[in-house]
Amino acid sequence: MFERLDPRSPTPLYAQIAERLRAAIVTRELTPAEALPSVRQLAASLRVNPATVVQAYRELEAEGFIEMRQGAGTYVREVSPSQRGAERERQATELVRKLLTDAARLGLSVREVTAAVERELGEKVR
Amino acid sequence: MSDFAVEISHLTYRVKRAFALEDLSLRIPTGSIYGFLGPNGSGKTTTIRLVLGLLRPESGGITVLGHAIPAEAPAALAGVGYVPEAPHLDPTLTVSEAIWFHSHFYPTWDAAWAGRLVRDFELDPRRLFGKLSKGQKGKLMMLLALAQRPRLLVLDEPTDGLDPVVRRDMLSALLDYVSAHEATVFISSHLIHELERICDWVGVMDNGRLVADVEMERFKTGMKRLKVSKCPRDLTPLPFRVLTRTPLNGNGGETWLVRDWAPEMAAALTAAGGEIQEVIDLDLEEGFVELLRSFRTRRPEAADV
Repeated sequence: MFERLDPRSPTPLYAQIAERLRAAIVTRELTPAEALPSVRQLAASLRVNPATVVQAYRELEAEGFIEMRQGAGTYVREVSPSQRGAERERQATELVRKLLTDAARLGLSVREVTAAVERELGEKVR
Repeated sequence: MSDFAVEISHLTYRVKRAFALEDLSLRIPTGSIYGFLGPNGSGKTTTIRLVLGLLRPESGGITVLGHAIPAEAPAALAGVGYVPEAPHLDPTLTVSEAIWFHSHFYPTWDAAWAGRLVRDFELDPRRLFGKLSKGQKGKLMMLLALAQRPRLLVLDEPTDGLDPVVRRDMLSALLDYVSAHEATVFISSHLIHELERICDWVGVMDNGRLVADVEMERFKTGMKRLKVSKCPRDLTPLPFRVLTRTPLNGNGGETWLVRDWAPEMAAALTAAGGEIQEVIDLDLEEGFVELLRSFRTRRPEAADV
């Protein structure tokens, strides 16, 4: 689930870790009540600063995806359908934003991009 | 407990005329992992040796874990684990003899931790130190530093020249220890991407001076390359610092290397009569290289940080 973490990316590592966990929770790769690795285990296995893992866990807890029980570990919480929907929508928006930023850098017009999207979708459907 | 595991203030150290640390001040927050970067000969190892009390400063003060160096070095060093650049144990000792020997210097020695690392690192206890591979030597040095249960780890190029598998094992063991004991780490390395993963603080040395001493996140988010299609006449009112300027395609555009950048500062540039075409992110290595380059092309007195 943590393949291709990129320490060189301008997105901080804690945000990348949180993003992977969020995606895994939304797609049910991680199921409700499942235990997450301890900060110590995850820091050592990903070779990142323990503070980075703590920061990722805190962010997910604040968003309601996980629960940190004092001294008893960290667990995946039940995600409501509306929360799940909102998260998927956010992910889709994120992808499109990235696409549009890259397109702008290449000087591509919105029409050229939409045409390419339709062409690719057409191939997929067929 | 002090806020800083290591505090260096106005330190001066000279080796004849050849090399000098001039007025070096540096502080390592307790609990941080502090990455120490700099080209060869910039003074990293000298600084580390001064911190350990192995060299005597000409002037200035050093405090390690609350103890003055070199006066109270023994008290400070009882809490410091050190992995030197080159492993330096007696080649005729076996692995278990080296561990036994080392353990007697440290009342805090954790034999269970040492035993676990011997297994994790797959070290043969009966093998002579002199017959170990480079990677096995590195692992043994890391083991000795961790099992003495230090509050501060000082690592001088601990993984230099080692293969990626060994480096991973050593760093995992280090981070496992740091998580369990909330220790502070002072680590120098040329492997910048490795530091980028683990450090929350960076110091950059150049020619005996500390040219940056900043939180990793701030260093990374604040150092950018800007493509400016229209330059303002006066740069002084800008809220960020322009380190270098290079002309871009002759239309009055320029590429700038800037520090202390934040996205909302684009407005300030526009207000000053400029225009940004693109903001380019730099990773730690690019930021480091660009920073050094900018210091070499400018007058020293402009090089405040």
